[in-house]
Amino acid sequence: MELLDPAILLQLLISGLLAGALYALLACGLNLVFGVMRVINLAHAELMLVGAFSAYLLYRFFGLHPVFSLVIVVPAVFFFGYYLQRVLIERVVGQPLLSSLLATYGVSIILVNIGLLLFSADYKSVPAMQGSILFGEIAISKPRAVAGLISVALTLAIYFFLERAHLGKAVRAVAEQPQVAAICGIDVRRIRMLTFGMAAAMAAAAGVMLAMIYSFSPISGADFIQKSFAIIIIGGMGNFAGALYGGLLLGVVESYVAGFSSSQWAEAVAYLLLVAVLLIRPTGLKGTAYVK
Amino acid sequence: MKRQSLLSVLFSLVLAFIIFPAVSQAKEIVVGASAALTGKYARNGQDQLDGFNMWVEEVNARGGLLGEKVRLVHYDDESTPATGQKLYEKLITDDKVDLLIGPYSSDVAMAASTVAEKYNFPMVSSGASATEIWTRGYKNIFGLYTPGSTYMEQVLEYAKSKGLKRVALIYQNTAFPRDVANGVRAKAKALKMDLVFDEEYGKDSTDFTSTTIKIKSKKAEVVIGASYLPDSTAFVRQAKENHLYAKIFAFAVGPALPDFGANLGLDAEGIMGNTHWEPTLNIPGAKDFAQRYTKKYGREPGYHAAGGYGAGQVLEAAVKKANSIDKDKLRQALTELDTVTAFGRYKVDSNGMQIGKPGYTVQWINGVRQLILPAKDATAKPVYPFKDWSKR
Repeated sequence: MELLDPAILLQLLISGLLAGALYALLACGLNLVFGVMRVINLAHAELMLVGAFSAYLLYRFFGLHPVFSLVIVVPAVFFFGYYLQRVLIERVVGQPLLSSLLATYGVSIILVNIGLLLFSADYKSVPAMQGSILFGEIAISKPRAVAGLISVALTLAIYFFLERAHLGKAVRAVAEQPQVAAICGIDVRRIRMLTFGMAAAMAAAAGVMLAMIYSFSPISGADFIQKSFAIIIIGGMGNFAGALYGGLLLGVVESYVAGFSSSQWAEAVAYLLLVAVLLIRPTGLKGTAYVK
Repeated sequence: MKRQSLLSVLFSLVLAFIIFPAVSQAKEIVVGASAALTGKYARNGQDQLDGFNMWVEEVNARGGLLGEKVRLVHYDDESTPATGQKLYEKLITDDKVDLLIGPYSSDVAMAASTVAEKYNFPMVSSGASATEIWTRGYKNIFGLYTPGSTYMEQVLEYAKSKGLKRVALIYQNTAFPRDVANGVRAKAKALKMDLVFDEEYGKDSTDFTSTTIKIKSKKAEVVIGASYLPDSTAFVRQAKENHLYAKIFAFAVGPALPDFGANLGLDAEGIMGNTHWEPTLNIPGAKDFAQRYTKKYGREPGYHAAGGYGAGQVLEAAVKKANSIDKDKLRQALTELDTVTAFGRYKVDSNGMQIGKPGYTVQWINGVRQLILPAKDATAKPVYPFKDWSKR
């Protein structure tokens, strides 16, 4: 069985971790929004595609490398998210779950169709960085390595921001007790705008990274949002670190399943994991939100 | 009371005005089709529709079919069989079209043809090639494409002539790629080559990293992908990332399209693929069609566009032969017809499967898609072996 060769096992682990880092970046944003305002953002993957298509345009027309376009795209989408929260999402915070699902689903439909109008349903890709670095028998794809590292760095940066920074603590306070936070003088509305902006920015960053690795079209969002949902449930709804672990776990498990079985099984893994976690630990790996 | 009856008179008048102009309008022949305008097959679906639209325009400029204007009604089937099936139901029962053109992709055509069969409605199908479509005893689907199971025969024969033995096969889990895969298995067996890897992947797969790692460990000399455009592109890119090397790489659909070279750039170099049609082929009208198409749409036609155009021409020839749009006469004409369109020869067996048209193999050489097999139609000699990724 040549698959048990340590070089192949290591290769599968690395490619799994790199894919998982990207999942994690995406899922963390989704979980952040859910944690702070109990809104499930169905347009999250479309925000990711906004990032991907922005990177595509910047590369196509200005020859800008996706790594540099992050500097433009991420702040731009942050402000888009910031104002989207103010104009739309703020109205459904604290409302029955169905309102927020419908509102964000509407945003998703609008974004997908704008995408289809502008770009058609063709698959686009950004071949800015190609090839791989060889360590003996192990090949590490350059775009994946860069995307993986940037994803981890961004996710950790936001994590420490939430843990340490004054503003980050305010975000967590709003997540836990919005009324008490308001009494303490925290501008809850602004914190929510900030949160949604950050989540949108994370999605857009994931999109820029995605553009370096995969082909994408305006309708590619569905695969990613489904996996992201599985990840946040596996990791624990509303728990930022949980989504990070969940994403990495899914990436690695997918990689090994595809390696030892087939890539078709790998596509089912997210949901099998989901069922397994719900059976064994219904609150997710890190979930404590509903345990009283 | 009075007021009510006055209203109802008014209402019927309005209704009459709506209905009568439609009836008194000049007669026309309506052709119905669904096309993959979104989803996985969008690129190919759009090309096919463009080719077909071009035929509609030209046939109307020539005075139409049987002296009547031709109009196309089409809907987007989103590359999904279930939607395609519903749309053909709608085209036949609701839009009451006179003629039918098949959708792109074997799995949508498979679904659509069950509807056509139910209503006993002959359908000219370009863009479908899975042998299975024509082995169900249906009487109403007439294909333009060479059957999928023959797609890779030339590549395998070529590989055999180079003394290669170890073949790896990957294929998507839909009708057409499975058919191609069956053909590869049969041909490899006949040529006494070893199938060292054989795996199916999902329609929505975008990540083939683990697959490439596995194929690498099997030391395959020939890698064959029964794929469509997005998956063949993704696979090539990831093969490069993981330094998967083989002497021959060949894919279905993808490499025959201009987009393949545009998306992959230098990485497309040396990759082989099958095609049904190239503008360089020595077919009457092919070159001319390619020029007119490029002028009209601003891009070069691939075989999907030519197939769409050819489907129109086949329909035209059959209607002329039958001198009617009566379903039974048309079915008879489509079965007996033996004609050459800009897409190539059309001649089907008693099931409607294409048997008159040969297949071709292309390879990307110096940034251009060249026809390499069979030798008599070739525009360039095959480049062999595939150049290692690290030496490019």
